Amino acid sequence: MSSSLTLAAESTAQRPRRLLLALGGALIVATYLFLVIVQPAEIAGGMGSTASLVSLFGFLGGGALLVGGILPMLTTSSLVVMPLGIALNIAIGQIAGSLGMQIYLDAIGTVLVAVLAGPAAGAATGAISNAIWGLFNPFALPFAAGAALIGLLAGLAARYGAFRRVYLAPVAGVIVGAIGGLVAAPVAVFMFGAAGTFGTNAIIAAFRSMGDKLLVAATKQGLLSDSLDKIVVFVLVALIVYALPQRAVRQFPFARTYRVLGTRTGTPTRAAVQPAGK
Amino acid sequence: MPRRRIYNPLTELLAAVLLVVLVLVVNRWEFSLAVLVFGVLPAVLLSGRARQIGLAIVLVAGPLLLSSLLLHGLFFPEGSTVLVDLGIARVTAEGLTFAAGMGLRMTVFTGVLLTAAMTMDIPELLATMTHRGWNRKLVFIVGSAVGLLPHVALRAQQVTRAQQARGLVVGRAPLSRFRALVAVTTPLVIGLLVDASERNSMLEARGFSSPGARTSYLPDTDTPHQRRARRAMVAVVGVFSAAWLVIAAVA
Repeated sequence: MSSSLTLAAESTAQRPRRLLLALGGALIVATYLFLVIVQPAEIAGGMGSTASLVSLFGFLGGGALLVGGILPMLTTSSLVVMPLGIALNIAIGQIAGSLGMQIYLDAIGTVLVAVLAGPAAGAATGAISNAIWGLFNPFALPFAAGAALIGLLAGLAARYGAFRRVYLAPVAGVIVGAIGGLVAAPVAVFMFGAAGTFGTNAIIAAFRSMGDKLLVAATKQGLLSDSLDKIVVFVLVALIVYALPQRAVRQFPFARTYRVLGTRTGTPTRAAVQPAGK
Repeated sequence: MPRRRIYNPLTELLAAVLLVVLVLVVNRWEFSLAVLVFGVLPAVLLSGRARQIGLAIVLVAGPLLLSSLLLHGLFFPEGSTVLVDLGIARVTAEGLTFAAGMGLRMTVFTGVLLTAAMTMDIPELLATMTHRGWNRKLVFIVGSAVGLLPHVALRAQQVTRAQQARGLVVGRAPLSRFRALVAVTTPLVIGLLVDASERNSMLEARGFSSPGARTSYLPDTDTPHQRRARRAMVAVVGVFSAAWLVIAAVA
């Protein structure tokens, strides 16, 4: 029998991985602090060349380092579900548009992967998702670090029981959304002058008309829109995972070990199978 | 008709990214405009898919440009040269300049990256990544996600139609919309996860998690020349950017 048919255990090189994760995290935090503390004055005068370069390289590079550190530790079951999460992020975003929803819903796949496969897989899904999406929609690219953070926090929330009861999910959603909004705001401001959809820009315009600086206005808008978006996404993902067959959930070591869904391990909820529209 | 490929996808992607970096570094509207006219425009026209790419650029950048113009044109408290005073909103020259500069920059980003993405041969890019020894898990995730996208979109459409046949009507109330979303996404995700678990056991059986280099079924289209050119491009842009930023800081 050829030796390639036997599965050898992968070599464990813990130190470089930890180093990559620490470097990635530190780069993202440093970038955020730099943008918020050092640069707010610059945006009023001009477009801020240094600020946009720092936000592009800091957040994208930090996201890439995190992905480099996370990928070697993922199991095959996590790896297989990650492309699905990425495709869901993009595809459900489109359905949301066609159903006439006003929120983005572009993190459903990230949160789903985070709940089933853990914070590391969630973070990598978020970052790679925005990198791939960036090929079709360049405006998603610099938000890779923010998406990674959403995945990481959603996974941690799942680990500590936020998905064991359906009413806990929106609470976790508000907190994760608020943090995500805080991180995304400087990217939006320094890269694109806070341009977004008409809805989000209307909120920014309202704060601007009260005399707020662009960064402050965009941060307030991020806190509002992202919290609302993540409440919906977390509740939706909770309902989806409750409806999953037990077999599908049990293949994920993370969901098994931390009893992410509590006692509810796969009986479909009525709300999830009932057609809507009465 | 797809154009005849001259360079490897990795080289083209890197060139597009470096162009974006240069636009950010130079940070002048004249340079952004020059890149748009002398770089993006000929690339789109010669791509062989000029109409699709042009439409995509308009669809992605158009709404952003318009909303940016409205936001900064009407609300720019830092502006001092007031052109029109509309009560709560003031049209200022500074606001319009800022919106135009940002708009031009956004158009260049969209044009450069979309042209590179829409003319790219994804299998060739993945083959190059495999030949260059990139992390195989990353190559799998990227390739698999890009391959799954049309499948997921089609399945979502089928599930939506099936639920509509069962009486799904999307009302105007937020709760009704949310229930419609649950009714569509739940069967979609369950089906995809069951597929994924089958793929999981198949990949494990074929030694996906075993270490060692992988081979690609596609030939390597990358050449030593292009590899050298890529390194040179990164070095030149790096040195230029550092010099430009230092001179700008000193001046």
